[in-house]
Amino acid sequence: MPRWVMAWPALAWWTFFFIIPLFWIILYSFGSRPSAVAAGPVSLEVLSFDNYWQALSEIFFRVFQITMRTAGLGTILCALLGFPVAYAIAMHVPQRWRSIFVFLLIVPYWTSFLLRTFAWRIILAPQGTLSDILQSLGILGRPLLILDTNAAVQLGIIYNYLPVMVLPIYVALERIDTSLIKASMDLGAGPLRTFLQVTMPLAAPGLFGGLVLTFILAAGDYVVPTILGGTKGLMVGNLIATQILASQNLPLGSAMAVMLIGLLAGVLIVAGLLLMTAQRLLGLLRGAPL
Amino acid sequence: MTAPPKHRPRNGGRIVLLAWMTAIFVFLYLPILVIVIYSFNGGRNLYVWTEWSTHWYGEAIDNPRALSALLVSIRTALINAAIAVALGVFAGIALARRKGPWTIPYIALIFVILGIPELVSAIGQMIWFDRLGIFDGITRLSIGHSLFNVAVVALIVRARAEGLGESLEHAAADLGALPWRSFLDITLPLMFPAVLAGLLLSFTFSFDDVIISLFVQRPGTSTFPIYILSAMKAGLKGDVAALAVMMLIVSMVGIAIAAWLMARGGRGKTLGGLLG
Repeated sequence: MPRWVMAWPALAWWTFFFIIPLFWIILYSFGSRPSAVAAGPVSLEVLSFDNYWQALSEIFFRVFQITMRTAGLGTILCALLGFPVAYAIAMHVPQRWRSIFVFLLIVPYWTSFLLRTFAWRIILAPQGTLSDILQSLGILGRPLLILDTNAAVQLGIIYNYLPVMVLPIYVALERIDTSLIKASMDLGAGPLRTFLQVTMPLAAPGLFGGLVLTFILAAGDYVVPTILGGTKGLMVGNLIATQILASQNLPLGSAMAVMLIGLLAGVLIVAGLLLMTAQRLLGLLRGAPL
Repeated sequence: MTAPPKHRPRNGGRIVLLAWMTAIFVFLYLPILVIVIYSFNGGRNLYVWTEWSTHWYGEAIDNPRALSALLVSIRTALINAAIAVALGVFAGIALARRKGPWTIPYIALIFVILGIPELVSAIGQMIWFDRLGIFDGITRLSIGHSLFNVAVVALIVRARAEGLGESLEHAAADLGALPWRSFLDITLPLMFPAVLAGLLLSFTFSFDDVIISLFVQRPGTSTFPIYILSAMKAGLKGDVAALAVMMLIVSMVGIAIAAWLMARGGRGKTLGGLLG
């Protein structure tokens, strides 16, 4: 018996219920809508690229663009907001407190996504408390009107995925041997140079992991745009869900899902290449005076 | 660039960083706090604070549709957790104890399962369940939720098994225990905290799931989050917030116990393991 037989049941389960369905999506994306409802959800008699052309030619293309922008900007802002947090926990919080802070970071992420997003509807409501406060302080001349727009979706994305960004960075920073940093300082490098040439290169894999993970999760999100975006803050996730659940257009929805996966895979590959180039550049930079 | 002055107050940066960290933690917890507070808002309009009241909790509990959705969610979460543990524990132990050329593609598959947009996985499952002729709502939901959670349990158990090392199993073998004996008497009991943590997390993740449920559900078997989602679309009232808070309590308790078990058992490595 092969040594890894214990891992087979899970593999069988995933193959049957995860991998096979992915092939069905691809197959359905080449199908067409049957003329009669009774014929089932998809006709596979004629396979064509029609759904892909349709997806590219209509508003879908625009929504794809908006999604990439929202997810991309959200990822960058998460990194800017989150890096100092990861750094503070890893470097300035005493060891025995660290796991508590990590725990505090994970708890909101693991509790219902739906509720945390829903809460923002209460906070951002035009007739809500925040809106009242901003108006009475004279910061706003009219009620707060960001609900059901792209701005609210952007905020929701940043809020929901911030822990996904912070944790991998924290894990990388926490593993850094602090004697390296001390050695760098002792050898006369200033804090900035030590940060850029010692800490950053060692934290890079964590940062990279955080960026990729945040982007992938944000780009495929459905809950945030559904709850906070209304009709103006659409993302690919809603669009696909609408095609399938409301318009009953499974072939078109499948084609859009395949395109989403393809795009994310493309982003992953480009990001990987960028990381390799960046590491090479950093290697060159390390010898240069700063 | 000039060298920094020798007497630079080193605490300045530290204070700024810790203040920033605190601000971000407030940002993360503020919405949760807001939803808890507003669930006690007695007013007709959820957004406009009027008075403290538990009125909406009574209304929420009195709602038979919400209760039946809650039952669907609990049954689904339990079946899903049983599947996740049954399959994930063995996969996790194999990943830690039976390493070989198979481990790398296997872990890659786990990360694909954890990283793929849930929406895509959900569409595939909807198509496949329809093709297979599985039309029982709870079955569809439990299988759908379990795919992710088998991977979660496998990673948690793997981290625990790697953290503990193999010395106890070796000792058992040296003392003449048969492999299955040492597996049952040593390996499985040692995995207990990780198994329990995986069980709780699987339950919670299933209980909170929206996307898979939205696609694979059948008429009459809406889960609790789906009920909340549709109630939200119909118009927000206090009862939705009250239901939401009840749901929050269930998942918070599950997560807190799971995280405590993992931190105790894996010396913090488990969390890292789960994140790659």
